[in-house]
Amino acid sequence: MQPPAYNAVKPRTTLQPAPVSLHTQLSNPSHAHTPLQSDAAPASSSKPKKVEWPPAVREYVRRAFEPANAIPGISQLEMQAKLKATISFYAERNAHDEVHWPTHPLPQELLMEERRKAALASPTNGFDEHTNTTPQSKKRKSQDAEELQGQQTQANVPPWRSTNLVSRMTYVEGHTGKRHKKNALMDAASKFDPVELDKRRQRFQLGNNGTNATSPDEDEMPAGPVVGTNQNLEKSYFRLTAPPKPETVRPLHILEDTLVMLLEKWKAERNYNYICNQFKSVRQDLTVQHIKNAFTVKVYEHHARISLEKGDLGEYNQCQTQLKALYAQNLRGKPAEFKAYRILYFVYTCNKTDMNDMLAELTLADKSHEWIKHALEVRSSLAVGNYHKFFRLYLGAQNMGAYLMDMFIERERLSALANMSRGYANVTLRFLTDELGFDNDEICREFLESHGAQNIIEDKGDNQYRVRLREAASQFESLRAAAFSKVDIKGQI
Amino acid sequence: MQSALESFHEAYASGLAQPVAAFLSPIAPINASNRLYDFARASSDDKIEGDVRYALKYNKTTRMTNKECGAWVDIIVCYWRAVKEIIKADKAADQSRTGDRQYLAIYDAWKDLTSSFIKHISGGLLPAWAIFTLYFTANHLRKIAIKTDEQLAKSKPAVLNTGYSDDIASTTPQNQKLEEAARVFNRIFALCLGDRNQDMSESRKWGVYCIANLQFKTYFKLKAISLSKNVVRSIEAQPDLPSFELYPRAHRVTYRYYTGVLAFLQEDYAKAEQSLQGAWESCWSRSQQNKSLILTYLIPCRLITQHKVPTAGLLAEAPRLQRIFGPLVACIKRGDLTGFDKALADGEPEFVRRRIFLTLERSRDIALRNLLRKVYLAGGFDDLKEGQTEKDRIRKSRIPLAHFVAALRMGISGAGSGQALEDEEVECLLANQIYKGLMKGYISREHAMVVLNKKGAFPGTGV
Repeated sequence: MQPPAYNAVKPRTTLQPAPVSLHTQLSNPSHAHTPLQSDAAPASSSKPKKVEWPPAVREYVRRAFEPANAIPGISQLEMQAKLKATISFYAERNAHDEVHWPTHPLPQELLMEERRKAALASPTNGFDEHTNTTPQSKKRKSQDAEELQGQQTQANVPPWRSTNLVSRMTYVEGHTGKRHKKNALMDAASKFDPVELDKRRQRFQLGNNGTNATSPDEDEMPAGPVVGTNQNLEKSYFRLTAPPKPETVRPLHILEDTLVMLLEKWKAERNYNYICNQFKSVRQDLTVQHIKNAFTVKVYEHHARISLEKGDLGEYNQCQTQLKALYAQNLRGKPAEFKAYRILYFVYTCNKTDMNDMLAELTLADKSHEWIKHALEVRSSLAVGNYHKFFRLYLGAQNMGAYLMDMFIERERLSALANMSRGYANVTLRFLTDELGFDNDEICREFLESHGAQNIIEDKGDNQYRVRLREAASQFESLRAAAFSKVDIKGQI
Repeated sequence: MQSALESFHEAYASGLAQPVAAFLSPIAPINASNRLYDFARASSDDKIEGDVRYALKYNKTTRMTNKECGAWVDIIVCYWRAVKEIIKADKAADQSRTGDRQYLAIYDAWKDLTSSFIKHISGGLLPAWAIFTLYFTANHLRKIAIKTDEQLAKSKPAVLNTGYSDDIASTTPQNQKLEEAARVFNRIFALCLGDRNQDMSESRKWGVYCIANLQFKTYFKLKAISLSKNVVRSIEAQPDLPSFELYPRAHRVTYRYYTGVLAFLQEDYAKAEQSLQGAWESCWSRSQQNKSLILTYLIPCRLITQHKVPTAGLLAEAPRLQRIFGPLVACIKRGDLTGFDKALADGEPEFVRRRIFLTLERSRDIALRNLLRKVYLAGGFDDLKEGQTEKDRIRKSRIPLAHFVAALRMGISGAGSGQALEDEEVECLLANQIYKGLMKGYISREHAMVVLNKKGAFPGTGV
């Protein structure tokens, strides 16, 4: 049967196939109780055949109206609208015979289903990702089995491959496949090509809808945490592109053991690449299981400290950002220590805006805390150019603060030298060693020489040296300017 | 509806942006507190469009073209919907059950109104002045968005990260709606800046600065100040804007103020001073609030660029300025370092909030300079040599380090107070003054002396 050529096409606002011809009647309440007869009206009068509904459909309608089948929360009116939509959907495609009406879900059930899915989908997207399964995904599904087979035969593949990459990929495919079967009814939507793009985007954005692939009924579970079952202590980090499998995720008590193990290994082996990778996978496991407690804080704190020790600012920054959010929820840990690090970090990056925000956040209690006070004094001593005090503070730095200060100690030494070279004609080397916080004269001397100042050091004999600072004033000045012009802020947020 | 739109016709006939904007306001005027309510009641959801169309089309006074009429119908219908949501929220508030939903509904309706305005202005259907009406509408959107965000923040608990992120805490923005509004403002800004109309009298380019100001306000509130730089940059890159002086004073003052503050925050104090000075000079003399805002940044700016403290008279004009700057300025003048540190610490919360703390901190140098200068003056003069008269007596230019150390220790409480000042630290501070050019001379460690220039030891202070 030819569809009527004159149907007005309303702009699509949902992905539901909305049969246009029904819109007109729906707004007319007088027809509401006689859905079957009224359905004939929009179809052109040249098709009287449409009025004669098959008995199966009539029975279906009767069932829909039966009070026993009513679902609270879904009004009679909504149900009728859905009923019309369902019947006419198949009528337009002339497919009434293909539907097994006695078992077909009632309109109120369909509505319930839709609402449930809408609740699952992200509110920002507004699309129901389940309604648009595509032919492409059907194709990919067929590869699914092959890949699974391949996985089994390749017994000697490296462990990272079998536990992570492959399983993750096969998982995605199987998942969409099941969804596809389940929503065969909505299949019509897949014809719309632009939707495919949306769908793909969504798949990458909110994949937590089905976190468990073990049973087909569970693949529409709300976005809840995974409960891990993996008992291994070690696990390599891989970026997730699909919902994680429980068997690859370690539960909390295992992760606690992992942390102990990692800290011991770090002490013994000092293999940063390994440790960093392991810590990232711990963080990932915590995240997918929505574990947010004192242990989470502990993991981030340890990772942050280790990355500071190795000068890995990118990783440190990630941890610091997370810690800030975690401390805001009062999950214990050592907020003061990390607030102090944040201040020192902003001293390093010379970021006045962030520093100002940081100062605004500090409470009076914070300011009187020993570590934070130290960091604040570092800040203010540099702000007013009190290098004497600054290098005293450097020598008295606590925790990992010294590692952070190491990042800008050379820069500040040059700055102090530029400063002193205007105020003094010459000074003893010992004075410089003391003022600039060097361990001994030799190191101080090496520092000067490595910055092209070997010619101004004068040997007075008897291990006495004088440094003719004034002569190198302009050189120190340009070194100072250069040191401040390049602040490497990796992973700055 | 006919009578409800009567005030629109009057406003429209005036050919001015403001009366029309007053009609399209989300707040009822004081003298007609029922206006919104009556307006909402004048029609219903399914009739509103027809009602408005009829009222506009058959009005004798306005006489707009069919197309323009269509645009206004669209806008007024959007406005009506927004008003309806406002009334609904009011009613909900009466029963004290206001929730996210009401706020979101108002916000969405108002955003629709703004978007509809943008659409019709970019379609060229509305008169040139409508861009300023849009400005008022957008400003309301900003306020509504801020309120909505506040409401959302109150009701929504911290969100967990969903998706495949590796880390637990989500970085979902706190000010979702205002950020959304900021994007709308960006579109309006582009609409103004990119107007190709050659006829300047009808150009939307006249709206550039007031929309830019709206963006600044939004970005400052969002703590995304750096985004403001893009606005400034695109204005500066636009070659065919009308001369800045031709814009309304209100636009100019606000724009200069914000560019001044931006430069201030980037520590470009020379540029900041220039902009803020410009804003100060064109600011309406009775606008106390604005004047004191400008001075909040101009005063620290001048401390850095010219080492100048504000006069007592200037501070006395605004109690707020007197309160925040008064103690600090007094200490700088006296060369009282301890007092300065205390005043700075006392004012810290306020200074940090205004983002001037880190700048003010630097003015400690001037307080220190004043103290050192006092030591120098107290040192007295060299003895007269033969042939010298009283007139060309020279001050003692060789000053023992111990004198400076003593001066700096004066304000510090005694042993056990936790405060200490080492001799080297004083040296360091002196070296700093020399390095910064506040003091001329050098330090001789062998003799424990500071040798100052015979002339102009403290530049700019008369000695």
